[in-house]
Amino acid sequence: MSESELTIDAGHAAALDPSPYGVQSKKLTMWLFIISDAVTFGAILFGYGYLRAGSANWPTPFEFSSSIVNGLIMTFVLLTSSLTMLGAVAAAKQGNKPACLKWMGATVLLGIIFAALHLREWFHMFAEGWSLSKNPLGGTVQFGAIFFSITGLHLMHVISGIIALVVIAIGYNTDWLDAGHVETTGLYWHFVDLVWMFVFPLLYLMNVAR
Amino acid sequence: MTETNHVPGMKENIAIWVGLLCIVGIETLLATMHLSTHRLLAALLVLAFIEAGIALLYFMHLKYEKPNLFWSLVPAVIFVLFMMNHIWPDAYRVASMRLPIQ
Repeated sequence: MSESELTIDAGHAAALDPSPYGVQSKKLTMWLFIISDAVTFGAILFGYGYLRAGSANWPTPFEFSSSIVNGLIMTFVLLTSSLTMLGAVAAAKQGNKPACLKWMGATVLLGIIFAALHLREWFHMFAEGWSLSKNPLGGTVQFGAIFFSITGLHLMHVISGIIALVVIAIGYNTDWLDAGHVETTGLYWHFVDLVWMFVFPLLYLMNVAR
Repeated sequence: MTETNHVPGMKENIAIWVGLLCIVGIETLLATMHLSTHRLLAALLVLAFIEAGIALLYFMHLKYEKPNLFWSLVPAVIFVLFMMNHIWPDAYRVASMRLPIQ
């Protein structure tokens, strides 16, 4: 028996130290991803903040009756999707597969509604003349670049989450994946919701037309 | 933070969800009150951090994990964000060093 084989034999699971965090490795990995992603969003939101503070003629294009109401509906939809995700995680932990799949289906549906509302708003803004480098209101042109970049990155996270939820639901239904996978995906989904809690007030409410 | 695995039930989750919606309502109300930009920003940031804290502790169950996890993750993020806040103003200095546009 070679030295490496002896090492493998000696390193069986019982001899390993217990996790200092008391969580599965996949859950810890998701937490590490979440903090790195939080820092990414933090960086671009800080960038936006300093750019806005440094621009004398920053536009405030959002009317309450259309954009803010639309943003409020999107916020309601995303917060509700977090609630349904909690239902899915609780059902998965109880081993109630049909209930878990129903809650996950509701979460996916709400995620799709959020993405559709977001895209509808984008296309409405494109029709008004907004783009990454164009500002139809006059003033600094950087608003479009900031707005579409930050909301685009968030929307990409939502769409990725929807795809992940569908894959996990299929895997959980076929016993390929377990309740831990549902919980880990739930963590990601709540994080997407958490980011929106900063994007909505900073990008929409701070830019209400006055 | 406790080390128990008790997590809130659906009734508690709904109560938290209603609380978060109320905070969003307050944020929207503040945005319509014609506050100065700095005051509005400060108020919205405070409310957003409260919302995020609630979501982190209750929706993401960080309150019910071992304290090790909280202390390994959250201070690191706060430190990085704090440092960004110190480094970003340097961008103004760089901008002022540019040659004037002819």
